[in-house]
Amino acid sequence: MPADASPSSTTSRSDRLAGVGTLVRFLLRRDRIKLPAWTGGLGLFVVYLAVALPSVAATEEELRSATQLFADPVGRLLIGPGYGFDEPSFERFVANGYGLYFAIIAALMNILLVVRHTRLEEQTGRAELIRANVVGRAAPLTATLILAVITNLVAAVVVGVAMVGIAGFATAGSLVFAVGLAATGIAFAGVATVTAQLSQYPRAAAGMAGAVLGAAFLVRAGGDMAAEGGTALSWLSPLAWAQQTAPFVLDRWWPLALSIVFAVSTIALGHLLAARRDLGASLVATRPGAHEASARLGTPVGLAVRLQRGNMIGWGAALAIGGLAFGAYTDALTDAFLDLPGAFTELFGADDLVDGYLAYMATFMAFLGGAYAVTAVQSLRGEETSGRAEPLLAAPVGRITWLATNLVVTTVGVVSIMAVTGLATGFGAVLVTGDTHHIPDLALAHLNQVPAVWVVLGIAVLLLGALPRAVAGAWIIVAYGLVVGTFGPMLDLPEAVLELSPFAHPAEVPTETVRALPLLTLSAIAVGAAAIGLLAFRRRDLETT
Amino acid sequence: MAHVITTEGLVKTFGSTRALDGLELSVTEGEVHGFLGPNGAGKSTAIRVLLGLLRADSGRARLFDGDPWADAVTLHRRLAYVPGDVELWPNLTGGEAIDLFARLRGRFDRTRRDELCERFDLDPTKKGRTYSKGNRQKVALISALASEVELLLLDEPTAGLDPLMEAVFQECIRDIKEAGRTVLLSSHVLAQVEALADRVSIIRQGRIVESGSLAELRHLHRITITVETAESAHALERLAGVHDLRELDGQFRFEVEGDHVDDTVRALAPLGVRSIVAHPPTLEQLLMRHYGDETDAPSSDSAR
Repeated sequence: MPADASPSSTTSRSDRLAGVGTLVRFLLRRDRIKLPAWTGGLGLFVVYLAVALPSVAATEEELRSATQLFADPVGRLLIGPGYGFDEPSFERFVANGYGLYFAIIAALMNILLVVRHTRLEEQTGRAELIRANVVGRAAPLTATLILAVITNLVAAVVVGVAMVGIAGFATAGSLVFAVGLAATGIAFAGVATVTAQLSQYPRAAAGMAGAVLGAAFLVRAGGDMAAEGGTALSWLSPLAWAQQTAPFVLDRWWPLALSIVFAVSTIALGHLLAARRDLGASLVATRPGAHEASARLGTPVGLAVRLQRGNMIGWGAALAIGGLAFGAYTDALTDAFLDLPGAFTELFGADDLVDGYLAYMATFMAFLGGAYAVTAVQSLRGEETSGRAEPLLAAPVGRITWLATNLVVTTVGVVSIMAVTGLATGFGAVLVTGDTHHIPDLALAHLNQVPAVWVVLGIAVLLLGALPRAVAGAWIIVAYGLVVGTFGPMLDLPEAVLELSPFAHPAEVPTETVRALPLLTLSAIAVGAAAIGLLAFRRRDLETT
Repeated sequence: MAHVITTEGLVKTFGSTRALDGLELSVTEGEVHGFLGPNGAGKSTAIRVLLGLLRADSGRARLFDGDPWADAVTLHRRLAYVPGDVELWPNLTGGEAIDLFARLRGRFDRTRRDELCERFDLDPTKKGRTYSKGNRQKVALISALASEVELLLLDEPTAGLDPLMEAVFQECIRDIKEAGRTVLLSSHVLAQVEALADRVSIIRQGRIVESGSLAELRHLHRITITVETAESAHALERLAGVHDLRELDGQFRFEVEGDHVDDTVRALAPLGVRSIVAHPPTLEQLLMRHYGDETDAPSSDSAR
């Protein structure tokens, strides 16, 4: 990589940063929707929790027993060191029970921001247009990081104001929480600065930064599970430092120094790597791929499998890991059973709380399975509009063949993902309870929800055929199912409103036994919708943009 | 000669835009047919209708002996298509994409595929996302050229290629013509069409405004003649069919309509011709005759 190896010897500092001010204004203009959306979303999360928590656990006693769920080792694995859970309050519950998820959202926001404005710009060639002007070599990256800092500070202000002004939390703790959130965000902007130098592809750069985020989650999970307040292992994770400030409990600032040091070093490393490479080049060399197609690729179904494989494996792995964690939670729930607030028993709706909980988990995973189905159909729409479907349909591949083979692959994907997730959830439950019947029970419970997911898939295909611009409308079914299925029982919604969701119809396995009729009806609706979608797709123009 | 492509009164609208407005196109077996017109004239729309990707609003289209919409799959076994803007899958290599298209079409010549990769200087082991526009174009071209099909539908197939590759492309098309296969070549590279096409059709705002062999088209249009004569040739101005007579450095230059050439040459002879050069109209002149006015008032037509 021949770039200039010693930039400072040939270029003065001010030249390297020429144009930063203009670029920052330009980036703010480009992010004028995204910046308020992300930061506003974090603020709304605070407001939502401040409103929702008192309605779930109205009394201090109920709050205490709900907190109990998160204070044991499996709870800490999911939420953090669990400061202040011996004497819970709403502010402690929000900051220490949900703080980790605020941090993860902030980290994702920063990873996507940095990759979007650095590597994606280089890959599309837009960076070339910018750099050909009076713009210093380090200016685009510097401007991106200034934008990241601005975004994180805005997020801190929005979250802080929501906590103090709307939720009425203590000022000192709110300030620690909000600043900790921004510090974690900037730390992950630093991670993305480094990974953006490593690969030529924005997706790989974001993926590597995401892997660092995942590793940070796992490291602190291990550390926090071992002891209340975390262990030395926790302190190795960039996600842990903001949590270790223990907002509303200890309100200590010094752990954030670690976040700042980490952010400064990763940003410095990123700049160093960027200065040593050519525009568009990467430190990870690109490997040559297959010279010719394998025998399987030469058919429509082979291509469909190849193109859908990544999405399917990604969703399957994420849901299975989630299932394992939810399953492992079963025991803690049993212990806390007696003191739980009434809202939980309503949600799990059963005399046997464990079975009720596991049945709800199967439904919850079905919502996510529905989300997978919608993304699969949306990527088919992407194949069409990007023009990649055109040469296939100009070969002797019929419209119906193309769509139907893809649909079959997704249908099989739904079954496999639900089965694997059910087995993982069952395995997690067996780990803590020792009752081996959980494995077949949960596999069955998850498969029992498959026809409901198929309805989502069928309607998405119907939209793709008949109203292609409205494919994203299939998300409404998933969102409706999630909201009504989760809050419906608590809100005493009318039966008709609940039953509009396809997910409401399968029997609640393992609380109840499988009922064939709703499954057959749902399958028939799914097949009917998909068939109309296929026929409509056969009759309409192919759309390219 | 059998017709491979025939369209009659083909109409396709997108909202208020009439992309095809009564298109009459005919391509006979074994010919290379140039399909000329600037961006937005309706070339790609016409090809997409012929491929059954778009459904015409009215009119009739025949491809071989079938209906492009109803018999799409059967017809596609006999043709290969290269779009003007090739999109590839980011995580499939060029080699995989070439094989995929060729296998879907059916008969495909493995050795020819490797030979073409060599000739077009394409590295088939690279992933789709790393290719430049020119290289993506090569992937689609190689796949089409390696397939043993009767008809090639090429929509501006060399838009991103360099002059060396353009030469390779022209050789390949000549081979295909020799093998008796048919090519519909949509292009705005006039030199390419002039070199390759047996017949051309010029499309403007969704209609064919001119169609025929280059020789026929030239005959219908004015020839440019430059003469040096012993006596003044000013008198020619009064002859029927002679236009734009100008004197320059003792030479006379004028245009004459195709069917008045004989009279004009007879009138020239007595003047004592010292030298004479006659140019047939270039394809550019033919095209500019139909599009000349658009350079003054750019069309707002945005059909593709």
